[in-house]
This record gives sequence, structure tokens and C-alpha cells, in this order.
Amino acid sequence: MVAKKVIEIPYVVELPVGPQHPAVHEPILLKAYAEGEEVVKVEINTGYNHRGIEKLAERNSFYRNIFICGRVCGICNTVHANCYTRAIEYILGVEPNDRAKYLRVVAMEFERIHSHMLIEAILAELMGFDALFMNLMLDRERIMKAKEILTGNRVISDYMMVGGVRRDVDAVKRDKLIDLLKKTRERVLYYRRLWMEDDTILKRMVDVGYLSRTNATKYSFVGPVARGSGVKIDARASDKFDAYGDIPWNVVVYKEGDSWARMMVRWDEVLESIDMSIYALEHLPSDGPAVPDERKLPRRFPEGESYARNEAQRGELTYYVMSRGGTMPYRVKIRTPSFLNVIHSYILYPGYTVADLPIIFGSLDPCISCMERVAVVDLEKGVRTYVRFKDLAQGRI
Amino acid sequence: MPRKRGGRPKLLSLILKNFATGPATIQYPFEPTPIEPDARGRHYADLSKCTGCSLCKIECPADAIEMKPIPEEYEVPKKNPRRLYPEINYFRCVFCYRCVTVCPVQAYVTTSEYRLASEELITSRELSFSTLKKKEG
Repeated sequence: MVAKKVIEIPYVVELPVGPQHPAVHEPILLKAYAEGEEVVKVEINTGYNHRGIEKLAERNSFYRNIFICGRVCGICNTVHANCYTRAIEYILGVEPNDRAKYLRVVAMEFERIHSHMLIEAILAELMGFDALFMNLMLDRERIMKAKEILTGNRVISDYMMVGGVRRDVDAVKRDKLIDLLKKTRERVLYYRRLWMEDDTILKRMVDVGYLSRTNATKYSFVGPVARGSGVKIDARASDKFDAYGDIPWNVVVYKEGDSWARMMVRWDEVLESIDMSIYALEHLPSDGPAVPDERKLPRRFPEGESYARNEAQRGELTYYVMSRGGTMPYRVKIRTPSFLNVIHSYILYPGYTVADLPIIFGSLDPCISCMERVAVVDLEKGVRTYVRFKDLAQGRI
Repeated sequence: MPRKRGGRPKLLSLILKNFATGPATIQYPFEPTPIEPDARGRHYADLSKCTGCSLCKIECPADAIEMKPIPEEYEVPKKNPRRLYPEINYFRCVFCYRCVTVCPVQAYVTTSEYRLASEELITSRELSFSTLKKKEG
């Protein structure tokens, strides 16, 4: 019998990773092309979680937007709120006093500590090291408690307000916070040593997902990803906003450029953050009340535009706010760090195995809800179009 | 940076120690979760202080507050001539406490109650009316 059909198996296999929880618990599709076990190309598809926050911000007042911008991302909410609040403070010409500035730094550093510990724990889970995941999450609880004492909530802090913060700390709370931080510091030192010595971690992470210094600057990676490749970039050090100019601290830089270096940058930053928070709490200035009376803040804003930037846990975060007078902003533009880190991460995967893909992706600390952009796909024609802001503003779609 | 290769899993001693101690998770329904007394929990308006000015409704970032008329059978203080009260929908509320800080007469009562699953207390209606007296007769 003569064969009538020949089935050809393509040499390169297309492997969709996602969009349901590819590595972290967020929706993104990494379309990987694998040749055997080796990844040759990765396409990154986004658009599963777009919420239209920039448009929502145009329909709400300046003060309501502080809380809306805080909800762009759950893990970095204090940083988002701080960046937006500073942007509208620049328009108003208001400056908080030193005590409020110190408290802002403490809240933001608490958030950095728990965010970095979370991604370290998730990476341990991605490696299949669940015991480490459990222990890390247990020790992270101390910082969540500290954040609850400081801001009144474990995750969404709603701590920033024009001209200061929304809650002050007394001596009892301050001692509690310092005690919690010192206990966390011991545990972080233990985990950092583990990260440097454990065989499982080293075998999975060393020399995986190499990013050279040239590529880090060429593809504009930011935050711990760039700092893991030897680029000394940190908005806190360059801008010295809030109290970052008064508190002694160092920018952590590693030269290795692999997944391991990116995670070690985060461990060292956690230690820096703990030291900064302890210093800030011990040297808390008392130059007047840190909490402004929210009933007496100006309701109408002058015309003007401002640009604020902040070092979020994942890199440089910028807010552009434009006011045409009145109570609502004309435009709020948010540029989040995960956008740069995730969209350009396709250069990292080729050459490594399929099993390395979640490790590399996880080591970027992706935050999809921050970085989401929308693309309109015409299903009948199979055409993918991107929507310009101009069309959106004029209601053409 | 040095990357030492250890021979054995370093976490082993911690895992063995954890076997000897009790569970680290809070056994929630049987024991309460420790929470700060000033944590942001369920809040409601004290209607003996409220003037019905609607500022909290205007400022709420989640549109969770609705101004509703107070029923006839309740005695309403004279400073609330329009007989309006803010009703918070706890399903919509994001617990930012903007209404609490923006209230001109500080009428909001705050609690640290975080257990919000309930069939009756979907809105702040009953808690708010518990602060008012009913008319006699």
C-alpha cells in the first residue's frame, strides 16, 4: 500500500507559556519557540488585564486620584501614590515638612522590603523549592505587620496626602517597628547566605538569563535588573526626593548580569532598606505635625504640568500630570518600570532551555497589572492594531 | 562576589526545626487574627453628629457612598435639615478612610473590624441608625 499522506513535524515547536499564570500569578502570554529543549525565540503578548486607569484619572478629582493611582499595582501602591502626590504637590507649590518626608521614606522602604521578599519567595517556588518559599513568606509576615502598624493596612496603605502623610507614629509604635525590623534583618542575612551557598539555587540561577551591560542600557532596562548588570541607575540617588538625601545609604550594583545577580541585588537592597528605615525611625525629626488637615487643602488647582519620578521596587516609575485649572487633571501619564523590563525581555531567553524560561521571567520581577497596554485584534481579519492616545481622546474607536 | 558551592542543602536544619514546632499559620476560625486597634476596618456615620453635607460622597474615590433620606420615624438633630445620611456600601468600599478624614464634623465612627462577610451588614444603614433615637409614640 502506498502512503497517501506525509505528516511533517516542524523542527521548531511553538510553545505557549501562559496566559494563565505563566510564572507569576498574573496574565501574560510568552509564546516560546523551542528547538528541542532550547528556546530560540520568545514573543511577548500583553493585553489581558488592561483597566484604563489613565482615562479614569481624567474623570476624577486630583484628591480622588491619589487613591486610584495607589491601586495601579497592589505591591507598589505606596510608591505609586507617592509619585502622583509629589507630582500634584509640584503643581500646587506645597512641600511637606521633614517629619512627613521621613515617614514617607519609611513607608516606601517597608514596601520595598516586602516586595523583594515576595519575589524571592516566588522564585524559590518556581525552582521547585517550596520549603524555602514557605519560610520566606513566614518571615515576610513581620514586615506586613510593621506596615499595618505604620499605615493601618497590610498591603494597600493609602498613606500619602498632599503636604504630608495620613498617620503619625508615636514612641510606642516606633519602638515596635524598630524591633520588628531588627528581627527581620537577622532572617534576611540568613536567607542571603543561603542564596549564596545553596546548591539548588546556584545550579538553577547562575549563568541563566545573562544580560550584558550594553544590552541593559540599549534596551533601557531599569531597576534591579539593570543594577544586576552593573548599571548604576537609581532615581532615589539621582533625584534625592523626600528624605533620601538626608539618610545614608548605598546603591547596590552587581556585575554578573545573570538571574542570580538580579536576585542578590534585591537581597542587598532589602538590607539597605532595613538600615534606612531604622535610621529614619531613630532620627525622626519633630518639626511640626506630619499629618495635614485634609479639610483645609486647596480644592481648585492652578494651571500647570509636572513630572515626578520615583524608584519603585521594580525600577524607575514616572508620573506626568497636566492641569488646566479646576478640580480635575487634564492628563495623567504613568510609565511603569515593569513595562520596560518585560516588553524587552525577549532578548534574554534564546539559548536557554524551556525549564529556564520561568526562572528568567521571574527574576525580572514582572508586574503585569502595572505594565498592561491595550491592543485591538480584529479576529476575522487577524489584524492587530494599536490605539493611539489621540484617537482615544477624540472617541474614534 | 563569591559563589560557594555547599555540599548539602542548607535549609535542612531549619526544616527539621520546623517539624518540632507547632504550625506557624494562624488557625483562623478557632483563634482570632491579631490586628492593630487602629487598623482601617468597617466604619459608619454617627447620625447624631452628621449634617448631611454630602462631602464624603463627593470625595469617595470608589463611589461607595450614597446619600439617602432618613425615615420619618427617627428623630434627627436640627443641624441636619435635609434629613440625609451617608450610606456606605461595604462591597464597593476600598477602606481608604478619605470620608473619615474629610468630614467637617468628624461624624465617622471607625472600628478595626475586618470580618466583613455578612448577610445583614452589606451597607452601613443599620449601624448608622443605631446611633439615632426613634420618635416616641
